[in-house]
Amino acid sequence: MALPATVKTRPEPFGFWLRLPDHTLVAVDRPRARALGLDGGPLWDDTVAHPPTGPLEVHVAITSRCPVGCEGCYQDATVDGRDVPLGALCETLDGLRDLGVFTVAFGGGEPLLHPDLAPLAREALARGLTPVVTTSGVGLTPERLEALRGYAQVNVSHDGVSGGYLAVRGVDGAHLADRAVRALVAQGTPVGVNHVLTRQNFAGLAETAAHARALGARELQLLRYKPAGRAATEAYLSRRLDPSQVDALGGTLQALAEAHQGALSLRVDCALVPLLSEALTDPEALRRFGVFGCEAGAHLGAVRRDGALAGCSFVTPPVSPVKPPRRALAVLWDTSPAVEGFRRWVTAPPEPCASCPVRGVCRGGCKVVSEHLVGCFAPDPECPRVRAASAR
Amino acid sequence: MSPEVAADARGILVVRAGPGANCSSIGSAVEMLFLSATVGAAVLLAVSAALKPEPPSTDAPPSPNSPPESHGPPGDRQDPP
Repeated sequence: MALPATVKTRPEPFGFWLRLPDHTLVAVDRPRARALGLDGGPLWDDTVAHPPTGPLEVHVAITSRCPVGCEGCYQDATVDGRDVPLGALCETLDGLRDLGVFTVAFGGGEPLLHPDLAPLAREALARGLTPVVTTSGVGLTPERLEALRGYAQVNVSHDGVSGGYLAVRGVDGAHLADRAVRALVAQGTPVGVNHVLTRQNFAGLAETAAHARALGARELQLLRYKPAGRAATEAYLSRRLDPSQVDALGGTLQALAEAHQGALSLRVDCALVPLLSEALTDPEALRRFGVFGCEAGAHLGAVRRDGALAGCSFVTPPVSPVKPPRRALAVLWDTSPAVEGFRRWVTAPPEPCASCPVRGVCRGGCKVVSEHLVGCFAPDPECPRVRAASAR
Repeated sequence: MSPEVAADARGILVVRAGPGANCSSIGSAVEMLFLSATVGAAVLLAVSAALKPEPPSTDAPPSPNSPPESHGPPGDRQDPP
């Protein structure tokens, strides 16, 4: 056996995806895969067309319940929301296993409030899936903390120090996030911090990064503020990064990477990639390190609370008159218009994306933003290149 | 990238540090893009080491003169790589 059993493999037309024991995903070409004793079988037959291969990561909403009531909640979670029963979630996990998914990211609402948090991680692991979860830290009890031991990583949402959290969310939960990070670090659970960038907290980013590192988080995940759920209002325009902040983002990340090298990993979400299109101009480097823009319908999928498949967590697919079974995700992935629309647009985007050097990795930017601002899938209006083209 | 690293990383198309834990949008580690090339090379070498030892292969090794059988890295093809 060339590879240890702890390496999960998935054949692809290009070669293989491999998941290493530390959860790093590696794509190798056919010769390298062969050298590892792997064979892609029918997927390496270039004489036939192949359906889209499955996503690498799928986000699964497990509850719509959350007592916090953040102003910009992209899921519109409420205090009287409902949990998805464990049985239904297991059917979803069956579907993800059949799709060859590597990582399942559970979210809400507030996932900590789901009564089956520990069994859920076990069920995912039993199907070869890496379970991770995001929480605000609200409702953390010793029992729930213990339940989180089963997860490969837990990210705690923290939208900034020195009033940044309050400015973004309309409620101040920074102390709860701090408490959760400290408790997770103390029990040895890998923990990261999710930080949504807005006009109001951008200036405090360096301070927030230092705070996350001091708490013991191993990574800082930066996210773009997106107009979905309760954030899909006119207020979005005053919350999103302003053009000068977008232009400063590359330099800011450079400084953070240098300041925290080896101590705090820095991540950006797919929606931030187009905002870096002037700062990161080498598509080969982006590709080699897996930094992709809109991944909806490609490497990323989402399962909403009602079991509906979506390209990502921020889009609401049309309500289908027929409710397909949750475990039929493998079929839906190939045929659902909700994800196919993303793939179709990316195939032939209009200018300026069509001639953009990073088009192949950026994939036209965030469609949730363009739908909100333009009314349809379009080149990301907040991308510096798109802004410049529009100004001409 | 040095020739040594390039040789060791041959056939490695994409490295995605994981797993992250974001439940809304997919996240990618970016410090390799902002730090010196040495950092990125170290990541590639670590991954390459994790993929060793290579087994004896029954396939004949490709001739140095034959074109590489690479289908391009993920993210570059709608008909996936």
